[in-house]
Amino acid sequence: MSTAGRISQVMKGVPMKPVMSANPVEARRRVLTLYKQWYRATPKIIEKFQLPYTVEKVHNRIREEFMKNSHVRDVRAIDLLVIKGQMDLQETIKMWKQPCHIKSYFHQETAVEVPTDFLGKFFTQKH
Amino acid sequence: MSRLFRSLWRRSTTLRYSNRPIASALQPCLLRRNYTNETEVIAPTEQIPAVRASAEVVKQQLVEFGDYIAQCLPKFIQQVQVTFTNELELLITPDSVIPVCTFLRDNHLCQFTNLVDLTAVDVPTRPCRFEVVYNFLSIPYNQRIRVKTYTNEVTAIDSICQVHPGANWYEREVWDMYGVFFRHHPDLRRILTDYGFDGHPFRKDFPLSGYYEVRYDDELQRIVRDPVELAQEFRKFDLKTPWEVFPNYRKTPEIEAPATESSTEEKK
Amino acid sequence: MLRIATQKCCDQLPSRFLPFLSTKSGAAVATRRHQSTDDKVEVFVNDKPVYVKPGSTVLQACEIAGIQIPRFCYHDRLSVAGNCRMCLVEIEKSPKPQASCAMPVMKGMRIKPDSDVSKKAREGVMEFLLANHPLDCPICDQGGECDLQDQSMMFGSDRSRFLEHKRAVEDKNIGPLIKTIMTRCIQCTRCVRFADEVAGVSDLGTTGRGNDMQIGTYVEKMFKSEMSGNVIDICPVGALTSKPYAFTARPWETRKTETVDVMDAVGSNIVVSTRAGDVLRIIPRLHEDINEEWISDKTRFAYDGLKRQRLTQPMLRNKQGQLVTCLWEDALPFVAEKLSTTEGSKVAGIVGGFADAESLICLKDLLNHVDSEGLCTEELFITDGAGTDLRSNYLLNTTIAGVEEADLVLLIGTNPRFEAPLFNARLRKSWIHNELEVALVGSKVDLTYSYEHLGDSTTTLKQIADGTHPFSKRLKDAKNPMVVVGSEVFSREDAFGVHAAVSAIAQNATVTSQTNRGDGGADWKVLNILHKVASQVAALDLGYKPGVDHIRKNPPSLLFILGADGGAVTREDLPKDCCVVYIGSHGDVSAPFADVILPGAAYTEKPGTYVNTEGRAQQTQAAVSPPGSAREDWKIIRALSEISGMTLPYDDLEGVRSRMSEVSPNLTRYDAVESANYFKQAAELAKLAKPQLVSKPLQSSQLSLADFYMTDSISRASKTMAKCVKAANEGLTPDL
Repeated sequence: MSTAGRISQVMKGVPMKPVMSANPVEARRRVLTLYKQWYRATPKIIEKFQLPYTVEKVHNRIREEFMKNSHVRDVRAIDLLVIKGQMDLQETIKMWKQPCHIKSYFHQETAVEVPTDFLGKFFTQKH
Repeated sequence: MSRLFRSLWRRSTTLRYSNRPIASALQPCLLRRNYTNETEVIAPTEQIPAVRASAEVVKQQLVEFGDYIAQCLPKFIQQVQVTFTNELELLITPDSVIPVCTFLRDNHLCQFTNLVDLTAVDVPTRPCRFEVVYNFLSIPYNQRIRVKTYTNEVTAIDSICQVHPGANWYEREVWDMYGVFFRHHPDLRRILTDYGFDGHPFRKDFPLSGYYEVRYDDELQRIVRDPVELAQEFRKFDLKTPWEVFPNYRKTPEIEAPATESSTEEKK
Repeated sequence: MLRIATQKCCDQLPSRFLPFLSTKSGAAVATRRHQSTDDKVEVFVNDKPVYVKPGSTVLQACEIAGIQIPRFCYHDRLSVAGNCRMCLVEIEKSPKPQASCAMPVMKGMRIKPDSDVSKKAREGVMEFLLANHPLDCPICDQGGECDLQDQSMMFGSDRSRFLEHKRAVEDKNIGPLIKTIMTRCIQCTRCVRFADEVAGVSDLGTTGRGNDMQIGTYVEKMFKSEMSGNVIDICPVGALTSKPYAFTARPWETRKTETVDVMDAVGSNIVVSTRAGDVLRIIPRLHEDINEEWISDKTRFAYDGLKRQRLTQPMLRNKQGQLVTCLWEDALPFVAEKLSTTEGSKVAGIVGGFADAESLICLKDLLNHVDSEGLCTEELFITDGAGTDLRSNYLLNTTIAGVEEADLVLLIGTNPRFEAPLFNARLRKSWIHNELEVALVGSKVDLTYSYEHLGDSTTTLKQIADGTHPFSKRLKDAKNPMVVVGSEVFSREDAFGVHAAVSAIAQNATVTSQTNRGDGGADWKVLNILHKVASQVAALDLGYKPGVDHIRKNPPSLLFILGADGGAVTREDLPKDCCVVYIGSHGDVSAPFADVILPGAAYTEKPGTYVNTEGRAQQTQAAVSPPGSAREDWKIIRALSEISGMTLPYDDLEGVRSRMSEVSPNLTRYDAVESANYFKQAAELAKLAKPQLVSKPLQSSQLSLADFYMTDSISRASKTMAKCVKAANEGLTPDL
């Protein structure tokens, strides 16, 4: 949704219908509602997916995901993010997602460390 | 399966030729104008090269029909066009999807009761990058029509589920593939992609390889989801000849914005 | 064969008798000589006024106006034939459309290239051309880069009225490089004209007439030219295509990398086509000052040597005396340990012909760090007199393009046709268009143009230097003389004597030519050294010692060989305990006796700097990645320096290059010829050192075409080149 800001600039002249929220206050309320929903669902998610993490850690991760989009100011972009978040929540709670989807939020499972010094690069990479 | 289809198709074509006199005899006089004149059809022979017979009459009828719709809905329809293969297209404003579809369904001279297809086209260079396309069929008149409108990533389009309930899954598909949001859709969620899939794959800026790959990891003894790493070279075709023969004659493909959008921009 | 005969006598005539023989190339030469703007003719192209030089053609006038006329037979660098008729345009007041490539402009001419008559004429011609052209584009190798395909799309009709049978022509076998499918030929005769005019080998010609006209060699024989591959490029259809590249790829699916060739010291500009990490073919890139748009066959076809005989893994010699593959992590510490325990004076390095300037500077810095002075190039040069201190001593000072201004060339101990085919092509071009006279001291060889053979003894050289030889007078009268010495003379024991004699000749000619021209300026340079290998000039610029004498005199106990496969040093020359480290791409001559092998990258696999024989720095680009665990050469040396604890102060390409420009700034001024001076001083220094001449005749090692193909590690590994040698020696075999 990084292009959202750019698009709203382009569409400046065109009056647009809101997606859901009429103003930023309403949009903020929706975001908070979604955030609370995720928060409340956390223990259940941990139990269902048998995640080896504490509730606090998952809370922090959820917060991180929300803060990732904290710069978004366009009301419609916020609304769409909320809609996607809700769909995500539904998929998570109903266990439509696989455990690997949830786990991939927490760490790169098979990442290899890339050397940065000359010799390390020389031994491992061609370029 | 394909053989079956082919034989069916063959039969249907032969049927069309053999049944035509009977079928046209049964048509009410109102409908007859939608047919080409039978005498225009030339039986193909081996000597004459196959050339598409221009059906000017059909085109004229389509133009007139299009004008009629445009006069009925002057506020909603921005442009009416007939393609070179004689297909009628209506270009409408994004807000008027429901009134236009309702009109096309309910007007007695239209009766486009059948939603054949609903899809979108992504043209990233346009100010409104998505073109949403509806294809309708009027069974009583054996007539097809295409309705097009436009939107972008953050603008919602009204769902036509209340007009054509069959649009439900199509709209879910467009949402899934392009990320176009349909307002007042009864059950808008992903339909084709996997749960947890990131992005909308039919967008032009979606990488060909996707963002994540899901595979079974032997060490962890379970499925893992990793950022994708390209193992194969991305195939990019370089269509310029190595010999710069006629740079002046070589047209660079320019993507032109359709007349409708620029005209609306000017209007507003 | 009549055509060939006439063409041959055309060749003997200077261009002014044949206005049509030299259009663009002749015109280009003319502009070099004098450029005046007032004597131009006004013509109208599409009613737009255009000013063109009198004598230029309608086609050129249209080109100046920005309108390109379709053409097949016309080629910028070849004579005008006017037989394809594709370039017909309507000209006002002329009853019929005219062939614009052969029609000279006249004052006030009104040309209408976009009129209906012109368009209809093109469409008609195209229909006739296609009447006999097979519709086999899907299996044709030219598909996608075919002039006929493109132009029939742009200017042709969308259907044909032709229902009869098409003509079929038997394919010819003209060697292992060029595949012919003569049914596709449209008789533009570009290949015939190329062979006659540029290559100077009248092997191709036309037989028959009308519908029965055929291009061929009359009797089945090889197209014996060192530049034969260029007919593949100039053929507008798929009649002449590349045999090694046949059915390999379509042009649109390949990636093109613009790079530079290193098979000879000319530094031709090339494009390397690759697909999925595989070099598929090499084609020329336009550079007016070096290779125009031609390349030699070795440049074009030796690329299959890049895939064979490659060193892909580091190797160490084990106790049984066998080379076994190992990891970089094993090989580098082994060498580093040797390097840090060996005394500096016992460390030496030899660099070969494919070494790029980056690896040269790295090796030099590393060896200088351990106080070693034993840095040698495999190619020989002189060390006495001014030696390599003055750049003018070892450059082709006149430059390759400068040949077009010369009026007298003296070649000494060289066969430019095989040592630098594109330099020879320039000489031939100048010989045709500018009445250039050529004389040769050395082996009597076929240079594709006539020259005066002055014998091969060093006495002749001495006489010319003294002014007692009859040729001295001609040299004295010349306005723009050139003296070209082949690098092979430096392998003689009296190399310095020859060089001194030559620089004396050149110095005398410089003085006389200045008075002959009457300008007194010193911008015309006479002395030229024609090198054979691509790395030599950069190595000398960086201060390498030419020749391996130093190593013979001071036997090293650790020797680095950087791609030196010329056989200058063998195992017998080295002490028994000497550890030989080979860094390079091919297992050719030197790698088998090495103790450690560090696999390097070939010229298509690394961004490297090469300086050509005229002193022009150019870059190669990495088109593919090195095979296996091979690495770029300079990185190997850099990694070695780090492991042995004397880290070089740079670790990326920019760093290496800035170090290079510290040592020799011209190495990073890409595509600029850094000219050299101090000829007089060099000649005087040479005199002081008392040069000696011996009576051994001056000879060239490459005498016939078969000697041309396999000269270095890449071309020796190439199957195609081996086939060429076989064909040149034994004649064609049907399976080739």
